[in-house]
Amino acid sequence: MSVELKERAAEAVELAKKAGAEDAWSNASQSRDVQFEYRDGSLEKVKDTTSQNLGIRIYAGGRYSSHSTTDLSPDRLQGFITEAVAITGALEPDEYRRITPESLFTDRPTDDLDLVDANVQALDREQRIAWCRALDEVAHQNERVISATSGVYDGTQRSASASSNGFLDEQQSTYCWFGAEVTLRDRGDKRAEDAFYAGGAHVVDLPGPEEVGTIALERTLSRLDSEKGPTVKAPMVVDARAAASLLGRLLGSANARSVQQGRSFWAPLLGEEAFSKKLTIIDDPLIKRGLSSRHYDNEGISSRALPIVENGIVRNIYVDTYYGRKGDMSPTTGSPSNRVVKLGGYSREQLLGEVGTGVYVTSWLGGNADSTTGDFSLGLRGHMIEDGKIGRPVGEMNVTGNLRDLFTRLELVGNDPYPYSSTLAPSLVFADVDFSGT
Amino acid sequence: MTMKRREFLGRMAAGSAVLSMPAFLSGCGIQQATAIADQTPENPFMDWFGVDEATTARVMAELTARGADAADLYFQHSRTNFLTLEDGIVSSASSTIEQGVGLRVVVGDQTGYAFTEDLTLPSMLAAARTAAAIASGSQVVPPQSFNAAGAGDLYKTTVPWSDVGIDQKLPLMKFVEAKAKSLDESVDKVAVYWADQDQRVMIATLDGKLVTDHRPMTRVTVTVTAKKGDEVQSGFSNIAAREEFGWYSEERLTTMVREAVERTMVLFDARRPPAGEMPVILASGASGILLHEAIGHGMEADFNRKGVSIYSDMIGKKVAEPFVTVVDQATIPRERGALNYDDEGNKAGRTVLVRDGILESYLHDGISANQYALKPTGSGRRQSYKYAPMPRMSCTFMEDGPHTKDEIIAAVDRGIICETYTNGQVQIGAGDYTFYVKNGWLVENGKVTAPIKDVNIIGNGPESLKRITMVANDARLDTGGWTCGKNGQSVPVSQGIPTVLVSKMTVGGENVS
Repeated sequence: MSVELKERAAEAVELAKKAGAEDAWSNASQSRDVQFEYRDGSLEKVKDTTSQNLGIRIYAGGRYSSHSTTDLSPDRLQGFITEAVAITGALEPDEYRRITPESLFTDRPTDDLDLVDANVQALDREQRIAWCRALDEVAHQNERVISATSGVYDGTQRSASASSNGFLDEQQSTYCWFGAEVTLRDRGDKRAEDAFYAGGAHVVDLPGPEEVGTIALERTLSRLDSEKGPTVKAPMVVDARAAASLLGRLLGSANARSVQQGRSFWAPLLGEEAFSKKLTIIDDPLIKRGLSSRHYDNEGISSRALPIVENGIVRNIYVDTYYGRKGDMSPTTGSPSNRVVKLGGYSREQLLGEVGTGVYVTSWLGGNADSTTGDFSLGLRGHMIEDGKIGRPVGEMNVTGNLRDLFTRLELVGNDPYPYSSTLAPSLVFADVDFSGT
Repeated sequence: MTMKRREFLGRMAAGSAVLSMPAFLSGCGIQQATAIADQTPENPFMDWFGVDEATTARVMAELTARGADAADLYFQHSRTNFLTLEDGIVSSASSTIEQGVGLRVVVGDQTGYAFTEDLTLPSMLAAARTAAAIASGSQVVPPQSFNAAGAGDLYKTTVPWSDVGIDQKLPLMKFVEAKAKSLDESVDKVAVYWADQDQRVMIATLDGKLVTDHRPMTRVTVTVTAKKGDEVQSGFSNIAAREEFGWYSEERLTTMVREAVERTMVLFDARRPPAGEMPVILASGASGILLHEAIGHGMEADFNRKGVSIYSDMIGKKVAEPFVTVVDQATIPRERGALNYDDEGNKAGRTVLVRDGILESYLHDGISANQYALKPTGSGRRQSYKYAPMPRMSCTFMEDGPHTKDEIIAAVDRGIICETYTNGQVQIGAGDYTFYVKNGWLVENGKVTAPIKDVNIIGNGPESLKRITMVANDARLDTGGWTCGKNGQSVPVSQGIPTVLVSKMTVGGENVS
């Protein structure tokens, strides 16, 4: 199968060259995805699919364009690529649009990243339904449950890339996720709702479905009788799962494209101590069984660990080949992999104890940030922190500030990384945060 | 038939050029289209996908071999073209072709789903067997022939996007850039993003219906970065519709650019409002985001048939003042959210969610309509052939009310007006929803005073509906390119509203100590 994908990618490059491209980079991918959803005691949805795609980047006459198609019948593909090359000719020339140089991909790591689990590929209908049933049963163990939907999602993704300057390689990974979403009757017409899912490349790394379903139910039970909290300036403890999402916003414009286009508050920060000394973030694509591990990125750039922030100092941003050339920055990688936040020494309970009084955020609701200035405002759900412990549930509140400023006030870092995200972040504590509520 | 398809598709490969290859210019594409119409007068869509009635019936029989209450084949071909102008040049184009058929079997509220991108009979039969595994009954009688439904007329085009070359789009993008730079000397960088799409769908249903729809779509976005000393600000605007190339008049583009530049320049003076609860005025147009989040999603019937929406038990109840009427309507010509037929093959229509303050109807797909013993409202939509449909909004708006914009502003002592937005979200069960305000104004003592920026607003759907105390008579639809995401599927939508006063919402901001 993989040999076929490599051949398919290489053939596309040949077709592009025949049609007049000087250079071409092609990616052929295929995935099998299976989804079982179970609701309130019976199977609700089964989806079982195999999907394929071919993408190609064309460099011709100092010009560039990229194309993709799911229609891989041979007679169509040739026309598609011929047309792609012709389209390229209609664009304006750009000296920075060049194929990834060999030097960036020749020394690719060959570490065994252990991303394929034969047990995932061998999953059958009975096993998936058994997991669904187990999730469903524990998720219903409360009289206030109105409905619970459990799901198992698994599959295999394969991709191969080929280029006119000698790149030929393939990557493959499996995934398996399961979890449940629970709705409970709350006061009046209100319902409390939450969900919990666990996943990874290998089945053996997952907790049991009973444990996952129980967490989903407990998380939802903790939302009952939630009320709007106060308008206050207070310390904020962000739980590990919500911290991963907050770090995603912080890092959203830490890339050469945003900087070169003048739309990133990271532009003046390279080399500067921009954040709290407590903050260290490494992009590490070579973690065994990591959710976003890889030998090379989508441009073929060899994987290596990349420090983004070390003890508050900005060491690198994400730089692809095009915006790197244009903005005079050395390419690192244009696309994030696993982002690992250096752990602190505190358990979540210790963090809450240190804070004493404040707001504990367990999830975000909407909100956004201005990537140019870093100004942000986010909706939140969580609990008040009272006497160093988790207190009454609160929601319908916003937290507002500036991302850079917020991360200068990162005071404590937990030791409890959330494992089911590419951003491996622990609980974080920030001082003097603006909350709006009643 | 298959041979015919190959011929046909082979020629389309050349005809669908988005480019300015000299040999292909000057109307060649239109001749192609005429030739196709002559060749297949009855149903060009069958030929497009290389299937005929017998093949379709054969696949439907396989799909329903283990029983079905409903089943459909959703054939789709989309071609989307993107162009990017940055730093004064258009040096990046990309295009995406998505072709496949989704196969669905419904038994009660159970769904079996599969798709294939390989439209040969063996591959479609294999996918049909996979989808059919959900059922465990016996073969139902599949249709031997299909009745073609009439083509819709909400977004007919004279020139499909496949016939518009890059050489035609490029000058418009350059015009947008030059206009933005001319409007303020602080404008430092301008980026223009172009997108156009031709989508063709053909839906064959178990009850023998055959629906075809050609759905054009286009969107242009301009982003502006401005510098004053060390301070940098950026803003954007976009316009979108189910339209063709000729829609992009100089005037329309100029309006969009002016908005983008004004929205950016005002940020230099804008501040955060004080944090907390206050009256919120929603300016007409894009503030329809309130309806989308506060009520629209909660009225999608999949959430209600499962009992998980806060609106599950509220039909027929008073939810707002009598001057509040909220509608979801797919039949507004050329709107981004417009649809002739939904993605289950039902005629799309107009559904009144709230009539004169009373909650009237949910948005139904086939499964929920069956459960409630109602007719579907034509709200079953899907992102593509890769997904099963579910109830979705189309174009959601509030009708005019009895007040005026000036009366509303005069009624507020201390609050804000919200004008532009980037995104929103809702929790269906709790009813809490948010939207992010990019630009707005403080209102003090009944007067608009200073500009504000970047605040999230959070409220509770049913509570906010009750707190709509004034509705003006200036309803308009927003022209922006909104996309709605639900359960991992994105669909284009529109929204609109007149100027409205919500007496109390929680506004993100700074704590004044």
